[in-house]
Amino acid sequence: MEIRLSSVLLAAALLSGCGWFHRGEKAPAAVVAEEPQGEPSIIEPQVNRRAVKTPKIKAKDFELGGYFGALSIQDFGTNPIYGVRAAYHVSEDVFLEGFLARSKAGTTSLEDVFPAITVVSDSGRRLTYYDLDVGYNVLPGEIFLGRGHAFNSALYVTVGMGDVKFADKDRFALNFGMGERLLITDWLAMHLDVRDHVFETDLTGRTKNVHNIEATLGLTFFY
Amino acid sequence: MRPLLALLLLQAFSVTPVHAKEQLLEVVVAEPYLEMHSGPGRGYPVVYVVGRDEVVTVLYSRTDWYKVRAPRGQEGWARRSELALTKLASGEPAPIPPYPDFATHRWEIGAGYGVFNHQNLVTTWGDFGLTDSLDVEFVLQQALGTIDNRYIASLGMRHTFIPEWRWFSPTAGLGFGYQYIDDKVPPKPLQTSNQLAYVSLGVRGFITRRFMWRADWRKYVVFTNQNQNEEPEEWKFGLAVFF
Repeated sequence: MEIRLSSVLLAAALLSGCGWFHRGEKAPAAVVAEEPQGEPSIIEPQVNRRAVKTPKIKAKDFELGGYFGALSIQDFGTNPIYGVRAAYHVSEDVFLEGFLARSKAGTTSLEDVFPAITVVSDSGRRLTYYDLDVGYNVLPGEIFLGRGHAFNSALYVTVGMGDVKFADKDRFALNFGMGERLLITDWLAMHLDVRDHVFETDLTGRTKNVHNIEATLGLTFFY
Repeated sequence: MRPLLALLLLQAFSVTPVHAKEQLLEVVVAEPYLEMHSGPGRGYPVVYVVGRDEVVTVLYSRTDWYKVRAPRGQEGWARRSELALTKLASGEPAPIPPYPDFATHRWEIGAGYGVFNHQNLVTTWGDFGLTDSLDVEFVLQQALGTIDNRYIASLGMRHTFIPEWRWFSPTAGLGFGYQYIDDKVPPKPLQTSNQLAYVSLGVRGFITRRFMWRADWRKYVVFTNQNQNEEPEEWKFGLAVFF
């Protein structure tokens, strides 16, 4: 019994010793016995986590704009054309492009010589087309204007297909084109295009493939 | 009315500076240097070089190129693969997104050429991947023949048997749709619009980066109000971009 009591006292003394060691001068032996439960042993971190949001990088791969120019409709004269275009640049070489345009045909030579004859009705002279193209930047480079200015540019070729609605009928048309894109700034581009729309028609008597070449000037925005 | 207009105008102008304060990504060059080209293409000359530990601001991207601003204001185009080696201020790698993985891509937009019942066909499609092997496809197409001109819209499901096969992977699909016939030559068709259903077999393959191709065969059943349904066939080939 005595031994047990003394061992308990010894343990208490040891504990108090340890406490003293850790706590420095502040801890009297009597308090030490209560202390282990009362005081938190680890400091709670008072840190407000800052939610770091990395800004996203804007991709400017889309190009949207309009164009106007002249369209030569085979047998129907050359007439003004205007349209809209949208492109998506897949890589620095390849882009996909869509066109939507309208024009109005003139009269054929036959109609000019014999005014009584009408090949196409008035409403049928309206020509509209849409095209879906694949383009390839063949010759990318820079264009210099005097000493102080350089503009990025590219000579591209396009090939595609679509629908030409002329003389009140829709026709499947292929198109082949070539153009020059000149970037005035990194987001504003000027286009010079020449494109041939080929489709089959029998408007002037026999069925044949007609070539309708257009030359246009356009302005597009990258976004 | 006029003060209200003035107030509206004032508000419109006061919005502008907020827009200008847009947050841009800043990255630290971790390699010995980062080259800045004069244009977004491999042939454009290097016009400026940013050294290690310098901070560049990323303005925007175009295809594989990123327009960046050097600490002293010079601007130029950095290649994606080189910008991907930079770090954030915290030391983490810069968040330059890698190309989407072809086998697990989600979205796809494409267009192509085909033949529908001996007629020229222009086709466009959008595709959303529910899983790697199961897609929902929405197709809009126009078949331009000598007798009529059809618009066909369809919605269906497509299964890719082995999506991990990159270059050549067979697919099969099933769906329904609607067609509208715009006649070119009389007599008028008995019905100008019909419902339809289809089965399809196809192949898809990866080309490069985010570019892919698809070829499809479809057999339609066009539901008519006559004794017999029409059963046209269709072949098509197209190119697509995936995201």
